[in-house]
Amino acid sequence: MKSLQKKLCIAAILTGSAIFIISLFLLLGKSENPYKGLLLVLGLLLAGGGIFKFPFKKHKSIMNIVFLFPMLFTFALTVLVPFVIGIFYSFTDWNGIKFSNFVGFENYVAMFSSPDYLYSFVITVIFTVINMIAVNVVAFSLALLGASNLKGTGFYRAAYFIPNLIGGIVLGYVWQFIFNKAFVAVFEGSRSMLTDPNLAILAILIVSTWQYAGYIMMIYLTGLQSLPRDVLEASSVDGASGIKTLFKIKIPMIANTFTVCIFLTLVNSFKQFDLNFAITNGAPSRILGGKAIQSTSFLALNIYNTAISKNQYALGQTKAVIFFIILAIISLTQVAISKKKEVEL
Amino acid sequence: MESIKKAVALGLIASMSLSLAACSGSSSDSSSKASDSSSSSSSSSSSSAASSGGEIRLVNGKIEIDQQLKKYAEEYSKKTGVKVTIESLGGGVDITGTLKGYLLSDNMPDIFVFGGEGDFQTWKDEIITLNDEPWVSDTDVAFKSSDGNVYGFPYAVEGYGIAYNKDILDKAGVDPSKLTNINAYKEAFEKINSKKDELGLTAVCSVAAESGQMYWSTGNHLFGAYLAQGLKRDDTTYIDMLKEGKIDKERMTQFAKFIKMLFDYSDKNTLLSGTYDDQLALWANGKTAFLTQGNWVDPSLPTYKATFNCGIAPLAFDTKDTDGVLADSPSWWAIYKGSKNIQAAKDFLTSLATTDEGAKCLVTDCGMISPFHSTKIEPTTPLAKNLMGWVKEGKTYSWQWAKMPVGIAQNATGAVFESLAKGDIDESKFVDMMEKAIADYVAQNKTN
Repeated sequence: MKSLQKKLCIAAILTGSAIFIISLFLLLGKSENPYKGLLLVLGLLLAGGGIFKFPFKKHKSIMNIVFLFPMLFTFALTVLVPFVIGIFYSFTDWNGIKFSNFVGFENYVAMFSSPDYLYSFVITVIFTVINMIAVNVVAFSLALLGASNLKGTGFYRAAYFIPNLIGGIVLGYVWQFIFNKAFVAVFEGSRSMLTDPNLAILAILIVSTWQYAGYIMMIYLTGLQSLPRDVLEASSVDGASGIKTLFKIKIPMIANTFTVCIFLTLVNSFKQFDLNFAITNGAPSRILGGKAIQSTSFLALNIYNTAISKNQYALGQTKAVIFFIILAIISLTQVAISKKKEVEL
Repeated sequence: MESIKKAVALGLIASMSLSLAACSGSSSDSSSKASDSSSSSSSSSSSSAASSGGEIRLVNGKIEIDQQLKKYAEEYSKKTGVKVTIESLGGGVDITGTLKGYLLSDNMPDIFVFGGEGDFQTWKDEIITLNDEPWVSDTDVAFKSSDGNVYGFPYAVEGYGIAYNKDILDKAGVDPSKLTNINAYKEAFEKINSKKDELGLTAVCSVAAESGQMYWSTGNHLFGAYLAQGLKRDDTTYIDMLKEGKIDKERMTQFAKFIKMLFDYSDKNTLLSGTYDDQLALWANGKTAFLTQGNWVDPSLPTYKATFNCGIAPLAFDTKDTDGVLADSPSWWAIYKGSKNIQAAKDFLTSLATTDEGAKCLVTDCGMISPFHSTKIEPTTPLAKNLMGWVKEGKTYSWQWAKMPVGIAQNATGAVFESLAKGDIDESKFVDMMEKAIADYVAQNKTN
């Protein structure tokens, strides 16, 4: 009985795979056969059924892998393979279509010796730090207000959250209009903020904070609302002032929330692209070391411009690899710290 | 109970496999429609459509003429039986990037647009030469590689300089035909500036020099005057110097003086933070006399109900007369080497260039200027009409700026223009910085 089943299963697997391979050939060979899709599915089902009915010893764990296969396959195809190819391209002179030779670490050397990349790196770090602080301070203050007994807190919460739902490009163009037209019209004779290198970064900061604070506020709010009432009550019975409760009880008790929020804003600020692209796209110019350069081109925009506008895909890819490594370091450090904190609590 | 479960499971499997089959089935005919902007149409389908013969696909980079081309394509297929599909990209789409995606996914169109020397370097191994086509001898602006082979089909001539509002100039007593050197411009600007209030102007010129969005206007178009104004069409002196990272300091100084003057007489807010629309609106609403754009503003004029007479004056930055505008084909159409219908694609281009219907499509419907000498149809929009005059008199200079290293305007020279506009630097600093910016950019491009 067992051996017959085995034989049947092997036959099913073999014919199934054969059908699958044939139909794959049909698909890739651009055949006009209308049944190629059906054939593919049939082959897969037959092979899958064969494996399913096969009397393995470790039937369950093999089944787990079989059922996970579509997911794993998709993940590999859309994430792992492109990632590996991306790293591979950074060692070639790829131009978006093909590459003709390997250049070793030449792209990496060129990248670190190009002033525009280093400048972008510096301003991105500055922006990230300031933006992280600004978003968290604003978001936490809003969360405190939102968690208080004010009237209409539900409305305010929704109102602060809405900017986050609008796409960054749209927001960027709207705010560009505000900076360039509305502000200039209100303060007669003034120049647009976007024409001064430092004020332009400030402008991006304002919009970024405005957009992201509502989202972070929601996370703080959940943290604040999950505070146990009895502790707060006890502290108020003991006569602790509002400020003291805030610093000695509320903030320490939602330290975890802080880690999550800081991490989110850190990564988000570092990856800032859409607002940067829509509001300034690198302008205004700044005179630095006897050269006129674009003053607000953050790392992501710099990478984009390297590949798209300068048509240097390999160099852009190289910058993206470094960008990934930096982000990975930040994320892993952050996760490690938050793990430690969780243990302490 | 058990049997119900089994039945449900079977039903689910059946429906899943059906949907899968449906997916793979539908993909095969999706791209015979050659969907507009979606690059997702599967590889298998597109080439199967192409292999059936008598079918070509054209990727056009000028979204403004999409409808007109489609109309012509329809007429053409009625006449010849060759189905032509027009796919227009534009409006901020990265065309080269999209085409690269098409190539990698085996979904390459038979005819596609490319924008000059930089793009040509990307595509040169993928396109065919068109030396023997009948239209080659009929035009000055076909794309020729440095070894003299023709690779690109020109579909239009576009030209720019300093567009003027003739009504305002007449009222101020300025003759636009005299604007052929920097001193004439200086005089004209001063004259109009002194009568600003009575003419209802906010400024004399409408220029936008912000480096994030308007780099193409300053770093490409205005800079194009430095490269070509006053030179013969095939004279590549200054572009060759630029490709080596060098500039002609004397010429650049003269150019800087002119640009500085242009900026000084411009509306400050538009100059420093204006977009193309702001710049255009100012001029089209009659608030300035001059605009640093070309005949492509024609289709937008009705939006502003602009009915004034207008024309294009030369970007004459030199003290001696340079009487001509910068006109060339803005981009070209190339035929893909791997196309299965090369002959059909060639025939389509030939019909566009040589037949009356083709000329009507390009000139009357699209509002462009035909790049072919034999075309008899005249454009009807104001700036195009004026430009046509320049072209007929042979007073044009070529667009050498299209041969600059890719991205130089956006990533290097645009910022120098903006700094001058903001007053951070003066003319002599402008020259120094331009020299440094170009040298650095070229050096950086060489190493990579």
